[in-house]
Amino acid sequence: MSSSVRQGDVVRVGRESAADQTPTRASVVIGFGSPADDTGVTRLDLNDILIKHPQATFLMHVAGNAMREVGIDDGDLLLVDRAITPAHGHIVIAVVAGEFVCRRLFRQGDDIRLQATNPDCADIAPRDGQELQVWGVVTNAIKSMPA
Amino acid sequence: MFALVDVNNMYVSCERVFRPSLAGRPVVVLSNNDGCAIARSNEAKDLGIKMAQPWFQIRHLERKAGLIALSANFELYGDMSSRMMTVVAQYAPRQEVYSIDESFLHFEGVRGDLVAIGREIRATVLQWTGLPTSVGFGSTKTLAKLANHVAKTADRKPGTYPAQFKQVCNFGAMSERELEQVMQATEVGDVWGVGRKISARLNDVGLRSVLDLVSADVATLRKQFSVVLEKTVLELRGTSCLDVDDAPAANQQIMCSRSFGAPMTELPALVEVVSQFASRVAEKARHQQSVAGAVHVFVATSPFRKHDRQHSPSVTVPLVRPTDDTRLLIGAAVRALEGIYRPGFNYAKAGVMLVDLQPKGQGQAELDLFSDTGEPAVSMPQRDRSQLMGTLDALNRRFGRGAVTVASAARQVNHGGHFAKQERRSPRYTTRIDEIPTAKAGWSTPA
Repeated sequence: MSSSVRQGDVVRVGRESAADQTPTRASVVIGFGSPADDTGVTRLDLNDILIKHPQATFLMHVAGNAMREVGIDDGDLLLVDRAITPAHGHIVIAVVAGEFVCRRLFRQGDDIRLQATNPDCADIAPRDGQELQVWGVVTNAIKSMPA
Repeated sequence: MFALVDVNNMYVSCERVFRPSLAGRPVVVLSNNDGCAIARSNEAKDLGIKMAQPWFQIRHLERKAGLIALSANFELYGDMSSRMMTVVAQYAPRQEVYSIDESFLHFEGVRGDLVAIGREIRATVLQWTGLPTSVGFGSTKTLAKLANHVAKTADRKPGTYPAQFKQVCNFGAMSERELEQVMQATEVGDVWGVGRKISARLNDVGLRSVLDLVSADVATLRKQFSVVLEKTVLELRGTSCLDVDDAPAANQQIMCSRSFGAPMTELPALVEVVSQFASRVAEKARHQQSVAGAVHVFVATSPFRKHDRQHSPSVTVPLVRPTDDTRLLIGAAVRALEGIYRPGFNYAKAGVMLVDLQPKGQGQAELDLFSDTGEPAVSMPQRDRSQLMGTLDALNRRFGRGAVTVASAARQVNHGGHFAKQERRSPRYTTRIDEIPTAKAGWSTPA
């Protein structure tokens, strides 16, 4: 389902590593067109503002505070976009031991790891032959205020 | 050219998107009331589990072979279907949604390498939704469907067909000899619309492979079998002759969907269309003596109207009680539409699908007893329903479709609780805020 990331691989969710696959992605743009070109003004809609790829975007809750330094707290609501190709520095949802884990993707050359933003947390690195699956890229964290 | 894009083992694949630990394990999805297997992972197929096999016959495989059985989660499947369909729709000027996991794309006048386009569709759907698909291209729908079968089988069982055809297979790019070899290697029963009975009869008269069938005399086939089979053979020879309405029905779902001639923006117009579709699927359900446990409704804007804002919502409404009643189904479909409709969009397509189908008259008394919704079951007089519906169908047959319709649809009461016993249902990850997945951000690494 998700591709395995080994040293030197390009990180891509759901891509298969068959050599004969030529990406022709640029030919297709899916998502919202520019709002209200000729139909007048419509009320701002958070879906349009926050969700670039509605078909590829999923909601998740966060459990834990290891990502607090980027503003993701326990209980926050995350928007996860699978259409974005994960890159160094992205906050991602990865699959570790069959579970969804929120971490920052560190990728410099051959060095690929999942980092917590809390410096006391150990990195998660794929061991030899082990798969590191990135499920999606976190684009937003929504937190509720007392009201 | 047509393409048939479908999701491999749809229901199981939807479950695996949100439970990655199910990858590589034998998984079945059970029908309503956990009666029988309605979807199987490849690993479950390899265990010898058959489609529609009763649960009690395979239950022992839980312990023996690590089989995982899940209750059907139609809300999840409906939403994932809608995502997948909307992604796929971008790739061709016209899309016909054929079932919850299949659509035909019309590629008339599209140039370029179709296999490359097919791989692109597959890769994008996989990345965006997590669902694995197979893509078949052919000059008729029956051929596209057959090419899809080849693509899927070549992937699942290496050696059955040349490996180059796995996942994406274009009959149009094959040499005549290659196509003959593929047809020689394919049994007649694998052809769209050729059921078990007909394929047994075909075998009796010596027609075993698809190649045998396309080489047979059509006039004789029409006489010995039916006009439908004649059409199938013509399609296999490359002559398109199947309309939307005489296309073979998909398993386990009843569907009616159309693209509109001109886009629709206003709710009343859409209500009318959706009511017609619901009425049509209700009639089909009664014809095949099924009742539906849920109604799936979708509307979609056109990705090819570049200046239009895009909105392609869908919803799956579970019914308090499985039904084939036109009034109840229209009520549910219209209520679903009202829930997803947003003003100001130019909708170009709509569809109504009945899912969670069960044979009529099965287990309804128990369902009432164990209803956990706290709601009274539908407050519709049960007594006269079948008779009324039978009369309605007869009138429509006699005076033409739509001669008699339901003027004001009774709304079925439902607060999201499903009556059925669904002990093993996974969370509705994408349609209920209190059931979305949790991502761990704990200090420790999951082991």
